[in-house]
Amino acid sequence: MALRIRWRRILLYLTFLIFTLVVLIPIYWMVRSSLAKASDLIRLPLIYFPTPTLRNFETLVEQIPFFDYIRNSLVFSVATTFATLVVSFLAAYAFARISFPGSGIILWVLLLTMALPEVGTIVPLYTVLRDLRLLDSIGGLTLVLSSTLAPFTIWVLISFIKQVPYEVEEAAIIDGASLPQIFWHILLPVTMPGLVTMLLINFVNAWNNLLYPLSFTTSPTSKTLSVAITEVFAGYSPYGKPWELIMAVGVTMTIPVVLLVLLSQRAIVRGLTGGAIK
Amino acid sequence: MAKVTAEEMRGRRSASALSRIFTSRTTTRRYLLFLLLIAPAFLLRIVTAAYPILRTGYLSLTNTNLITNTSDFIGLRNFPAVANDFGVQSALTFTVMLVVGATILEMILGMLVALLLNERFHGTTFGRTINLIPWAIPTVVAGYAFRWLLDDQFGLIPNWINQVAGIRPVVFISPVSARIVVILAHVWKDAPFMAFIFLAGLQGVPTDLYDAAKVDGANAWHRLWSVTVPLVAPLAITMGLFRLVWSLGSFDLVLGLTQGGPGVATSVLALEIFREGILFFKFGFASAISVVLLMLVGVIGVIGLWLFRKADVNY
Repeated sequence: MALRIRWRRILLYLTFLIFTLVVLIPIYWMVRSSLAKASDLIRLPLIYFPTPTLRNFETLVEQIPFFDYIRNSLVFSVATTFATLVVSFLAAYAFARISFPGSGIILWVLLLTMALPEVGTIVPLYTVLRDLRLLDSIGGLTLVLSSTLAPFTIWVLISFIKQVPYEVEEAAIIDGASLPQIFWHILLPVTMPGLVTMLLINFVNAWNNLLYPLSFTTSPTSKTLSVAITEVFAGYSPYGKPWELIMAVGVTMTIPVVLLVLLSQRAIVRGLTGGAIK
Repeated sequence: MAKVTAEEMRGRRSASALSRIFTSRTTTRRYLLFLLLIAPAFLLRIVTAAYPILRTGYLSLTNTNLITNTSDFIGLRNFPAVANDFGVQSALTFTVMLVVGATILEMILGMLVALLLNERFHGTTFGRTINLIPWAIPTVVAGYAFRWLLDDQFGLIPNWINQVAGIRPVVFISPVSARIVVILAHVWKDAPFMAFIFLAGLQGVPTDLYDAAKVDGANAWHRLWSVTVPLVAPLAITMGLFRLVWSLGSFDLVLGLTQGGPGVATSVLALEIFREGILFFKFGFASAISVVLLMLVGVIGVIGLWLFRKADVNY
């Protein structure tokens, strides 16, 4: 009996080791390549721990409007997160608290649009944004992405709002509170965990988004880091593709979100799974 | 904003006598409030989803090209051109391969990882933490990272394989290996997310069921199949469905990993739409491809729903 338990334990730890390696090796490789001299990357046998240098990041700042890209990614992500949350919270409240025949179908139709792939509408969206003069603008990108992220956010927020006992709102209404007051003083504080969760999830989604910035931006006014990395990939260096630069952009994109996620993982997992289970 | 009375807010759900007095004014106010609250979200969806879908349908019947400045109605003539386009043919094939293959693998691996993380041992918190990394990393960055990782000259994996087996695999020259790599990279990116869903599902299984099974003499393998799987199955099928449909629009990973190559072997519909529409401005043609994609979404969605109904009834 003891031997069998030992066996199982070994298998468990072995599987865990493999899992850890598979997840972390690409990250290690990216970081290692971003901190190495370009010439160190094309040496065989491979240098696993090259002498670190920030030269690649310096090159990025020199050769492309790197800070503009970073700024755009930040502004885009924050704006989208905020816009999505506001729009979704209002709608989620309506679906959670006001029901009448047909409201379920309306919600169902809204959620159905989640099945739509981003690329599916990208061609007309180009014309729509052009006519609204929102091409090459962060505002235009925010408009499109917050619309895409809204249905899932609404879905998750509905379940969070429903967890607030209606009696609390009722009491406030009887005391003469208006709707904005109910939102601000009662609902917001109590659903804060849910809001924070969706804030984080949507920030990550916006920061990582590639298709919309790639399709609708034309200049460093609004191009984001995700566009930047595709542009750096198209470049050439004496050694072929400038992998040290490509990985440097990759690291710049990845480290902030990974840190954010690691620090708030419980909140994020709760949001991702909550929406799916319910 | 005017004060809202308690009856108006509660609507049908309350049993109090007061609320049963439904004046038409009360219902109207509730209705209006509802519309006001959902208006921003719905406006957004109409402008960026509903109208564009219809417009895609219309554009697919034209020869709109922003460069040659044409926009004539040509009926269904785009579709034979789309069907004969080599890139689209390849993309259609591989999109289906990718979607089906990756989703199946993601569900299996996701379940395995969930079972792993559900066990009690020292590394669980660490494991659950790093499990989020593939979800957090930008997909296109993952694509480039894997491309460099598998570089036949200076990538980590081919060099390791060379040290162990003496051969240096050149992954991105062969269509077959390139396709396999794209599918596997997809699984790397998405299986952890599935694992989280499954983990939440696993943790919802009441432990007495396992105890009862143990008393009946079931070993770990038996317990897995007679307790865990049936209870997690609805969740698994739902998630599988979502994953299937979502991955139809897969773009970022292919763009970073292979850019559709070699040739068009690993192109996907999303890439073709992007190329023809945004790069070449052949709006009519690209819209026709979009229609194909949307129909694929519809077909797979319907098949999935049918499967789900069947599983539900049996269970």
